[in-house]
Amino acid sequence: MKKTSLVQIKADEKAKVLEILGGTNLESKLLSMGVYKGKQVVKLSHIGLKGPVVIKSGRSILALGHSVAEKIIVEKE
Amino acid sequence: MIKKIYLIGNPNVGKSVVFSRLTGVQVISSNYPGTTVEIAKGYLILGQEKVEVVDLPGTYSLDPTSGAEEVAVSLLKELPKDQIAVINIIDSTNLERNLLLTVQLIEEGYPVVLCMNMCDDAGHRGVYIDFAKLEELLKIPVIATCALTGQGIKLLTERINEAISAPKPGLTHQDRWLEIGKIIEQVQRLEHRHHTFREILEDASVRPVTGLIMAVGIIYAAFKFVRFAGEGIISRITDPLFMNIYRPLLEKLSAPWQEKGFFFHLLIGDLISGKIDFKQSLGVLTTAPYIEFGMVLPYVISFYFILCLLEDIGYLPRLAVLLDNLLHRLGLHGYAVIPVLLGFGCNVPGILSTRVLESKRERFIACTIISIGVPCVPLQAMIFGLLGKFGGWYVSGVYLVLFALVIILGVILNRTLTGYSPEFLLEIPPYRFPPLLMLWKKLYLRIKGFLVEALPVVLLGVCFINILLYFKLFDFVTAIFAPVIHGLFGLPKEAVVALAIGFLRKDVAVGMLMPLGLTANQLFIGATLLAISFPCIASFVVLAKELGIKGLIKSTAIMVTISIIVGSALHFLVLH
Repeated sequence: MKKTSLVQIKADEKAKVLEILGGTNLESKLLSMGVYKGKQVVKLSHIGLKGPVVIKSGRSILALGHSVAEKIIVEKE
Repeated sequence: MIKKIYLIGNPNVGKSVVFSRLTGVQVISSNYPGTTVEIAKGYLILGQEKVEVVDLPGTYSLDPTSGAEEVAVSLLKELPKDQIAVINIIDSTNLERNLLLTVQLIEEGYPVVLCMNMCDDAGHRGVYIDFAKLEELLKIPVIATCALTGQGIKLLTERINEAISAPKPGLTHQDRWLEIGKIIEQVQRLEHRHHTFREILEDASVRPVTGLIMAVGIIYAAFKFVRFAGEGIISRITDPLFMNIYRPLLEKLSAPWQEKGFFFHLLIGDLISGKIDFKQSLGVLTTAPYIEFGMVLPYVISFYFILCLLEDIGYLPRLAVLLDNLLHRLGLHGYAVIPVLLGFGCNVPGILSTRVLESKRERFIACTIISIGVPCVPLQAMIFGLLGKFGGWYVSGVYLVLFALVIILGVILNRTLTGYSPEFLLEIPPYRFPPLLMLWKKLYLRIKGFLVEALPVVLLGVCFINILLYFKLFDFVTAIFAPVIHGLFGLPKEAVVALAIGFLRKDVAVGMLMPLGLTANQLFIGATLLAISFPCIASFVVLAKELGIKGLIKSTAIMVTISIIVGSALHFLVLH
């Protein structure tokens, strides 16, 4: 098991959220949108080198800015 | 005794559609989060009583993390809980995520009715929900609705009275999710379906390569359609009406009018070689209605048709994802495409919708960029109408200059302004295909809005200009500004009047350039200057409201400086 961020995994890979860095505001925002520790997500795409990351969490599709995606630490499955 | 009913729910679950159904008040709804930036209010007859219904901005939880969410939560606390009812609207295709707010509302003791909206779509997507079981578990009334067709709305109104307050001990969000997970297991059954064509498109539009190809294709097609449909309406409907019916009528009516005095000048204007020329006569009954109905309205219709279609399908948030990278360099993030696109219709709703952006800095950048570099449809229609005959290069030239300005200005503002730009975090809605009737209703609302705003200003504006021209009151202003206009921008001194009128309305201002007999290059400079200089008075008022006086002054100073620089530069490049 390796810890990486959402930025580093490839499109179509599944991962489990381990940790959300970057303060309580971001964490609670993501939490209220359904992304929290232990949640399984699928990365759908990554636009450009420093662009946003699109993930699927439950039945929602979420677009995360590059620096948000960097702060979501996941474990690849 | 219910005194007020609040509609609350996650962003983009169709609150505004339910609101329209309940109250009969028509509000704009779209398929992207954050359409409702102003609080809409209406009334519902409940038994014998008339109860106020409030449509709140979307929120994911009762712990606000953005300005709009804060508004929603604070409004909810206005009245004691026993005097209100809360209709919690849920997107049935995404029950799990939506239930967080529901659970929190119940815990805090709000009297809640659960409105399970879009339940037809849930069926299409293989989501089956046991509503009776959900009602049993949550202990609140649960009603399945489809607000687009009106299904379930009557039942919803009948059961509002059943909402009761039953507070529970508060949990943490993490525990709430666990709780919700257990509920979901008991009430929701997912049928695995093969990817439908719709889902393949949804997917492709947010992937780098396919997404970009789709974006270019859609924007190109949209632009082509707006021109094609706009021109079609002009050549087939409005021009024949004006030329074959309205003009002969006006000429017949004004023929006995031998003495061409003040009122003739005011209403009909100048005759061009003995005839009324809608583009040059400048009368309240001639040029004014022709500009609004004959040149601008056709494009307003075709533009809003495409915008409404893209909004309702749910394409715009996907465009936001693709453009996030570029917009980051301008100190904005992807979601700023929404205000910018609305700004292309009219700067006023564009500036208002910058409320979807969180920080003051972002909103300042977005408002300034919209005012300077985003020409509204009326202005664009006039640019097409005037410059189009000199060839596509002049029209494209205006857009190129504006685009370059937006990029340069954005980069500079991003580097120099203090403050922060928050991160991009956006839910992407599924594609939806709303019934055509909804599309027409929205188009009608927008066109009505345009006419109500524009028509009085145009008629009064032309009237006012004619009075000033007749009594030669402009000569004073013209004399003062002539050195700038002529020396710096290479325009004849009469163009001062047009640029000044730009403050009133841009389309009339371009109209004022028509009788001056300008060369293509001069028209190009004039039109570009009108696009970037002061916004019209209506945008000015909302700018003041949204940015505050200090922000307005700052933004205006930027506009004036840029107008002078760009005007002189173009003059130097084009005319020398």
